[in-house]
Parts: sequence; structure tokens; C-alpha cells
Amino acid sequence: MIWLGWREQRSETIIAALILALVALALLPSGLHMASVFDHDGLAACVGPHQSGACDEAVGSFVNRFQRVGDLIAWLTLVPGIIGVLLAAPFVLQLEHGTYRLDWTQSVTPRRWIATKLGLAVGVAIAASLVLIAFVTWWRDPLISLQGRMENSVFDSVGTAPIGYALFALGLALAIGVLWRRAAPAVLVAFGTYVVLRVFFDVWARQRLTPPKALTWKAAAPDPPSLHNAWIISEGPSDRLGHLIRPHVTAAQLNECARGAGDVKKCLLSGFHPQYTHAVFEPASRFWTMQLLETGLFAGAGLALIAFAGWWTHRRAA
Amino acid sequence: MTGLDETALSARGLGKRFGSTWGLRDCTLDIPVGSVTALVGPNGAGKTTLLQLAVGLLRPTTGELRVLGLAPRDDVGALLPRVAFVAQDHPLHRRFTVRDTLTLGRRLNPSWDDEVARRRIEGLDLPLDRKVGKLSGGQQAQVALTLALAKRPELLILDEPVASLDPLARREFLSAVLEVVSDAEISVILSSHILADLERVCDHVVILSHAQTLLVGAIDDVLAEHRLLTGPRADAAAVARGHDVIRERHTERQTSLLVRSSARIYDSRWEVHEVDLEEIVLAYLGYGEAHPEPVRELDEAVAR
Repeated sequence: MIWLGWREQRSETIIAALILALVALALLPSGLHMASVFDHDGLAACVGPHQSGACDEAVGSFVNRFQRVGDLIAWLTLVPGIIGVLLAAPFVLQLEHGTYRLDWTQSVTPRRWIATKLGLAVGVAIAASLVLIAFVTWWRDPLISLQGRMENSVFDSVGTAPIGYALFALGLALAIGVLWRRAAPAVLVAFGTYVVLRVFFDVWARQRLTPPKALTWKAAAPDPPSLHNAWIISEGPSDRLGHLIRPHVTAAQLNECARGAGDVKKCLLSGFHPQYTHAVFEPASRFWTMQLLETGLFAGAGLALIAFAGWWTHRRAA
Repeated sequence: MTGLDETALSARGLGKRFGSTWGLRDCTLDIPVGSVTALVGPNGAGKTTLLQLAVGLLRPTTGELRVLGLAPRDDVGALLPRVAFVAQDHPLHRRFTVRDTLTLGRRLNPSWDDEVARRRIEGLDLPLDRKVGKLSGGQQAQVALTLALAKRPELLILDEPVASLDPLARREFLSAVLEVVSDAEISVILSSHILADLERVCDHVVILSHAQTLLVGAIDDVLAEHRLLTGPRADAAAVARGHDVIRERHTERQTSLLVRSSARIYDSRWEVHEVDLEEIVLAYLGYGEAHPEPVRELDEAVAR
């Protein structure tokens, strides 16, 4: 039965492998380049909070140089979803085309057939996610050591979360697919739903699952160490109690500044001297807590959907 | 309830409901071991439902079903190795080669006979590396039959095996089935909406219409039990009292009745004729309509 499971999932497994190979091929040159620049500029010495001015400058120019590629690579967070829904296709296609009737009337029980096929899909989804995680983590390593891995664009593609995303996309496409019995629309709808849910998690849910910390410190003082490599959700001038304050600009002041020479912004802020800075953030120390929480949620929902798809198929076949 | 274990297939009050409509209703029948049974009825009569119930692809809503003495859904693991099924339109994995398809059979069936499979595929002159999707409909049907036969089943179930085939492929397929039937101690159930396809291979017949069984029996018995009576128009009611009238047709002066009865007809005004199986089946399928009255009108219209 394992042979058949592989054979029926062969095309999709090959496509998944090709996607990963393409990603690897695209990342390899810039990854090697970035690592060599990192070594060449001696940036390893600048890792950690409170660095010298020279370090600040070196880090700034390194980050400027590679930030744009890094932003592009953030799109790789879509890959676990693509692979997940892709791996649901062979199962749903067999329901759509009725070929499961051929498999189910050999000598293998439907229960074993369903378990084997879903098990293989789960296995490949996990393996593909691990490969992707390993590659992105390797590529990002220099940037992570300087900037951390808490920001959404990094957090989503390292750690363990991509495994959860892939299983969730797989489960969603399977559940919709066994109900609908049309592979192509099921896969598309599942992927759309998956993207919407992921965006919802990034912009809203994640920072509510683990309520962020807040800190207020003297504007003149250096940033507190717990802010180092943290995901800073908001930061700005505040009063001593942490209430954010904005510069109050009168019409007369605006006129004056607009008429004057010099920088308008600087002119407007000339009378504004906030004493404190307030930040809301998720500290870097929470990385694994948040990763495991998110992985657990997505993987748990995904496995529940997969179990539902299997149960439904067994119960409502034909 | 005797005989459940000695039959190829036994149903008692078997029913299957899909949502609010019944695919099969109150079906009671016995198909003996070693028989070749034609399951006849129009499209949508419930043939596919009955056959899918028999191989555990569907779960019965009501009643009891035994196939080779086993309950298909509950004993699926024990039953499957002993039954082979070729579903309607013989679904195969189109992206598999012929070789892959045979490997599927070998890997999934402990009773697989590779010699049988190899010999049949060679006899059909099919290239092993050809994708199944690239084969003709007739060839695909033959591959599906090979897969079923190499399993060495005790019961072979074919759902509309020839419906999608052209006349030549149809004849070749049925010849292959005939060969199997004469070769081995195997029970076969074939369904079709065209009786002519099956008449020369079968010895038993089941007529299904509107989810219900209308007639079950050995073809010889069925032929012996049914007769066509022609006689004076007025006396139909008298005959109907003593015999089971399947269909009546009236013209100006004459009435013809197709009756099921082995009793003698004493009234000399009636002429008694033999009928062939096709006419019996057609009579039953007309009789099976929801309202007998309009059917008679229709028949009269046809007679005129």
C-alpha cells in the first residue's frame, strides 16, 4: 500500500521537491555572498546590544545592503501553504475521478488506504517544511544575529512555525476537497483562506496570544537590553507614565517654519523635547514560546482537519 | 433467513437512501454461488447502488446484506480478497502505465496471480509502458478486467462493463467474460441497461426498476413461468383473477396478456405463446412504472 501511496502522490512530491530546489538555487548565491561580507566586515564582533559607533555604522550599511533581498525572501512564507495544498490534491483527485473505487476494491481496506495516503501527505509536508526552514535559517543567519528573528517577516519562516502552516494548509485543502470533491477549486479556496488566516495572525492574533511587554525609559538613556532583537510593535515619545505624546503644532508655527530656510520637520520639532520613550514589544526571549504556541495551533488545527477528511471519506464514500 | 451463507449474494430488505431519495429500496434476493447473473434495469434503477453495497463502497441504510456469507462493510478486510469489482466506466489511474497498474494489483492483493495477468496482457497485445489514459476505451476495460481476474476472485462483479464500449470492443469483452465463466468456479454479477448484451453469458436475471427488484430468478425458470396470452378483449379480468398479469395490451377486438403463472390455462378462447427474455424484461420495466394506468395508455399508443 505504501508503494501505491507514493505512486499516486509522485507528481505532487516531485513538484514540491522542485519548488524547494528552485528556492535553494535562488538563495544560494546571495546567501553565500552575505555570509562572506559578514565575515569580511568582521560583523561577528558587533553582535549583541549596545555597540560602539563604528559597529553601528557597519551594521547599518550591512543591513541596508541586504534588507531588500531579505524582504523578498519573506515571501517564502507562502511556500509551506503552497506545498500543503498541493499535497492535498492527489487524495481529492481520486475522489473526483472515482479512482478510489479501484483502490478500495483491491484487498486493502478503505481505512488502511486512507491512513496510508494521509500519513504520506503529512510526512512529505513536514519534511518539505523542515528543508525550507533549514535553508531560510541558514540564509538569514547573519541578518538574524544582527536584527533578531522576532519580526513577522522572519518569524514566519524560521523555528517550527512553517511545519504548522504546511499541515494547516494540507488539512484545510483536504477538508474542503472531501466535501466538495473537486480538487482544483478546493485547492484554490483553501490557499486563499490560508493566506487570509496567516495575515490575520501576523497583524492581529500573534500579539494577542502572548500579550506584549511595555517599557518606558528616559529618552536620553540607551535602549533597555530587553528591546534588543525584539519585535517592536510600537515605539514613540511619551510622558513618564508611558502615555504617547505628539508635538503640538500651531498654525503660526507652521507658517513660520514653512517660510523659513532649513528643514521644515526639524523646525517644527524644535520646541518638542519629550523626556521619555515608550515601546510595546515582544522580547527576543519569547521566540520559542511563541513559535511553539503558533506551531501547536496551526499543526493542531491542521491535523484535526486531516482527521476529519479521513473520517468523512470513510463515512461518506460514493 | 436460511441460505445466507451458501449464496454469492443475499439481501433481505436491503435499502440505501441518498438524502431524501432511495437508491435501492426493500431489496430481497438470493444469487446462488456459481451463477452468472444479469442485473437489468434502466439507468438510475439502483443497479450501481446494489453493486457498490456488495463491495462495501456504500453502507446500507436498512436491511441485511451478505456477500459470500460476509457483511461487506463490516467484514471488508475478509471479503475484499475474495471479490473483484470493475466499477462503471472502469476507472483506472490514467497517469499509471499498464505496468504500474499491474504492480498495483500485485502489491494490493495477496491472492494475485501474476501469470494470469501477464498472459492476458500479452494476449491483448498491450505495451506495458503505455499510459493507461492513452489506451482505447476497450483496452482500458480489458485492463480493468485483467486486474479483477488476476485477483482470482470467487465473485466477480462488473458494473455496466460494456456501456461505454463500441460494438466490437463490447463483443470482445463479453467473450473474455464467457471464457472466465467457463474456466473457473466463479460467480459473476453483471449489470446493464441493455439485456441483449448479457443474455448470452447469463443464467440468472434480476430486474431492477425505481430502486426496487421486480423479478429474481434463473433464466430457464423465468422463461418457463411467463407466457403471452391472446384472446377476446372482454375477458382480461377473469384471467387476472387466476394469474399474475405483468402487462396487458388491448386492441379493438383482442387483448394480449403477459402473465406469470405455471398453472394451465383452461379457457380455450386464449391462445398461449412462449415469450423470450427480452420481452419479459420490457414488460416488467413497463410494469414497474409508478402508475400502471398511464403505462397502459402508452402501450396502447404504441400498439396503434
